[in-house]
Amino acid sequence: MERPRPGRIAGHNPLVTWCVVGALLGVGAALVGWHGVYRSLEIRLAAVLIDATTSSGVYVAPHRQTVYFGLGTDHAIGLKITPECTSAFLVVPLLLVAAAMVSLRPRITRRVLASLGLAVVVLVLVNQVRMLTLVALIGGFGRHRGYYLGHTLLGSMVSVFGGAAALVLFVWLSTRTPRPKDTQKDTPKDAPA
Amino acid sequence: MNRSSLDLLLGFTQALALTMSVAFVTYVCLIVVPYLRHRRAAAGDPSRFEWHFLVPCRDEQAVIGETVLYLRATFPTAHVWVIDDDSEDSTAGVVRRIRGRTEANIHLVQRTRPNARTGKGDALNAGYRAIKQWMGRHADATLAVLVVVDADGRPSADCLAVCAAEHLFADPGIGAVQLDVRMLNSGVPQLGVGRVRRWYGGLLVRMQDLEFRTAIAAIQMSRGITGTISMGGNGQFTRLSALDSIAGPDGRPWRGSLLEDFELGVHLLTAGWRTGFTMDAHVDQEGLYSLRRFLAQRTRWGQGTMQCAGYLRQIWDSRHLSTLGAAEIMYYLAQPWMQLIGTLVYPIPFAFLGVRTLQAPSEVWAWFTGGAWLLFAVYGTFGLLPFLMWGPIYRLRCDRTGSLWRGLGYGLAYSLYIYTFYITSWRALLRLVRGRNGWAKTRRNTEVARGLVALDH
Repeated sequence: MERPRPGRIAGHNPLVTWCVVGALLGVGAALVGWHGVYRSLEIRLAAVLIDATTSSGVYVAPHRQTVYFGLGTDHAIGLKITPECTSAFLVVPLLLVAAAMVSLRPRITRRVLASLGLAVVVLVLVNQVRMLTLVALIGGFGRHRGYYLGHTLLGSMVSVFGGAAALVLFVWLSTRTPRPKDTQKDTPKDAPA
Repeated sequence: MNRSSLDLLLGFTQALALTMSVAFVTYVCLIVVPYLRHRRAAAGDPSRFEWHFLVPCRDEQAVIGETVLYLRATFPTAHVWVIDDDSEDSTAGVVRRIRGRTEANIHLVQRTRPNARTGKGDALNAGYRAIKQWMGRHADATLAVLVVVDADGRPSADCLAVCAAEHLFADPGIGAVQLDVRMLNSGVPQLGVGRVRRWYGGLLVRMQDLEFRTAIAAIQMSRGITGTISMGGNGQFTRLSALDSIAGPDGRPWRGSLLEDFELGVHLLTAGWRTGFTMDAHVDQEGLYSLRRFLAQRTRWGQGTMQCAGYLRQIWDSRHLSTLGAAEIMYYLAQPWMQLIGTLVYPIPFAFLGVRTLQAPSEVWAWFTGGAWLLFAVYGTFGLLPFLMWGPIYRLRCDRTGSLWRGLGYGLAYSLYIYTFYITSWRALLRLVRGRNGWAKTRRNTEVARGLVALDH
């Protein structure tokens, strides 16, 4: 008896499946290869959020992935998103798992992509929360103490719990048993019961 | 390597290490809940079923006699099928002597080379075919249950009643049930060795007991939710009709991987059967005192898990497995590979730190004493807790003989014990790459080395 090959599930075009898998892997490779670009975008977003939540001046230097805040005060400081601080590399494992899931069970492609999207949003937001926490603590406790609390301790905690939240969200949403309406959407009409 | 590449490597490995660690901590948090919430279920009526114990033997004269006598005395209505895999010792003779002086219900399936000693799966298949032939074509396979027991296995006296329960074999959709496994010699010191070795061997056996009764039992309990409870090699109960459904024309429900028990579970699940696990009854087996034999056994398990990765496609294609179930099995099958990645990834940030310490020791010291020590403490706690916690849990739920401090000590020892998997995964990979897929049995504690045993690999 011949077993169905990847993407051979009735109603699912294998070409589409492989395109999705290729795209996911491609995005993962791009994140590694062009992490500088991603970090520039991340720092731009951080600058917007810092500007919205603080009263002092903010300046962003995207090419250096650095945001300066507290401008116009005695406590101006710059924060740089380094390869160790970016959320880019936290997204990569999720992309790999999503690619594996799509290639192995094409009928869940939409669900996996939606879950991946949400998990990535959570990861990006968690990293922004980490940055904002850092800014707030530096404002409250001063440069050295605030940086220590915000970066070394709290920042790591935010990463761990945020990472866990994103992971749980991804696994839960992508693997949950679909409701009857979702089943109709995900399962081809001629699939065996 | 320039600065930019080093930063990239450090950032990527840190993110990967964080993801794998967080995934594992989250997984452990999720599996501990069903385990702690477990309550004993009502037993069933074992007389509704016909029970056949299958005991595959290869050079087991040291233990088989006691096992057969135990099974006959404890389960008088059950049949005991000893499959002698062309033993070079007097295994078959021991069984014949017992059969001669007692009564029926003891059966000897004799295999001979070149068709023998080709793996446990083949031996079990021979037993399966013998039972089919003995029962005849018209027997009700839905009410017959085959129980795989190791040659030194001791299923608890209540296991048949427990397995006959409403949620287990009384449910016609249940194809197989796995018993909780315990170490018979936990707390029993090894004789004939020095003090240090006795202490060390005793601790190793204790860790195996702790592992099976807490972490593995918790994993199995959580699999009840994902619908992916797996089978073990000892205390494995399978409905005959379930075996028939996957046996194929050659009558081979067990296949050829080194993890034939897990493989059986995969075939049953993908064929639409449900599997169960129970902690209400257990099977005792002998824990290994020797680290070398322990590593050999775990290398075999690791290699078997790697071999079973070939089933991923079948698992994900199955209409009977939910996505969560398929993902759970994939996570399990990925474990040895993640351990391989872990041994490469985890040391990289430490290597960077070491190099930096050599280059600028005062700077690193200032960084460490300035707060980074707390980071190490936090990460250390996250790394340890998922293993450490099983020690006190074991003390509270399985063995209340020692103090809570002893439980914590067990937890710490278990954290170290787990590191052996990093060794065995690499050994398994090397064997896989070299195409060494055969295996000799793991020698019993009481057995004197003779011929090829797993230790020699």
